Amino acid sequence: MTNFSLGALGGLSAAKLKLQFEESSCRLELTGLPDVSASPSDASTATAGQRLSILTGWELNLGQRAALQGKLEHLQALVAAVQPYVRHLVSNHPCPQGDPNSPVCLEPRGRGHRLQLRSSQANTKPLDLQLDDAELADLTQCLDQMLQDPRLGITLPLAAPQPLRRREQPRRKGAATGWAAPAAALGALLITAGLAMVIPLPERKRPTAKPPAPTTSQR
Amino acid sequence: MTAALPCCHHRSHRPRPLTDSPAHPPSRPLPRRGLERLDLLLLAIEALDLHGSEAMLWSCEQLGLSEAFPDRVALWKSRCRNPLRRASRRGELSSQELQGLEMLVCNLAQRLYPMLRQLFSSSEPEQINRQRWELFNGRYRELILERMNDKRGAIRLLIDGSEAESLRRQVVQTLLFCAGPGGLQRLEASLMDGSR
Repeated sequence: MTNFSLGALGGLSAAKLKLQFEESSCRLELTGLPDVSASPSDASTATAGQRLSILTGWELNLGQRAALQGKLEHLQALVAAVQPYVRHLVSNHPCPQGDPNSPVCLEPRGRGHRLQLRSSQANTKPLDLQLDDAELADLTQCLDQMLQDPRLGITLPLAAPQPLRRREQPRRKGAATGWAAPAAALGALLITAGLAMVIPLPERKRPTAKPPAPTTSQR
Repeated sequence: MTAALPCCHHRSHRPRPLTDSPAHPPSRPLPRRGLERLDLLLLAIEALDLHGSEAMLWSCEQLGLSEAFPDRVALWKSRCRNPLRRASRRGELSSQELQGLEMLVCNLAQRLYPMLRQLFSSSEPEQINRQRWELFNGRYRELILERMNDKRGAIRLLIDGSEAESLRRQVVQTLLFCAGPGGLQRLEASLMDGSR
């Protein structure tokens, strides 16, 4: 899936590096330079020259719908929006990512997902794209491949996926009906007990002192 | 949807995690709901692929899981920890079994990725896609009725409820996003939902 090419840049001593990640509806291409000033104590000095450590640009092609270009901060924003969003999708709890000022926003819309990209150039309208699940999965696979590629020497913001908290979890549909029967039984018991307390108890008759029985004299 | 396994790229090794820290320490037990979801995901794989159970055994060998699942009985026993099963077994999965089942789901999801992608793609012809979903829904329902305890509310919702189709779609959607290099970490975290 990945392609790696080396090409000399005119006027530069370092070789231009290109990393390419491709899926059916998505192609991500990173262009950059190796960090030749990296300390020679690095274990893999030979491979250091083949690690893309300085990103000069990247391009994302989403089929024939859009071709996006950007800088490092845009790629960071894309990763920061897509990864947590997909993590929530796996738990069937889609959660919008990215605030209104961030370069990348991703949120559920209809049966798909709305990817909104804001340009850093002034007077440029945000790009609004509707992705279906397959396109989002392709984009995720491309980003996963990029993040896992040992030839990428750029640090991108990525936190380990965490389990959702109990309160964040989507409620199981049957949970409400599951408690309905016991709750109804308990309610009926309480109502019956309340009614029983309202009904006056029959007064208990106090035993009255019996009149002395007439005594008969024996003769 | 084809009955045969799609010819696609196969990863025979555990992918390198995207981040160093694991989603959950292996000692933490899997919540009951996670256990149910894990087995339902494997069942969905069987519904998508007629040779799914064979592919599971083959993948176990490829992934080096022969120690945890030496044969199909061992795999079946681990899957029977699901409390929703007709013949459910008590107890918890060992961390080796749990990791093995998670790897199996992600590996098989990656193998089925072209098929999963087709199911969710809006560019596919609508009628053909509807037929694919009908085929999957029919097979999944049959497998559920065969192996799960249909007196349980969660199972009734999956087979008869008004939301049944949407719930089954969610299961397949989980498989779609579990495929790929980062899928395993996402699945691990997702199965532990509600544990913190």
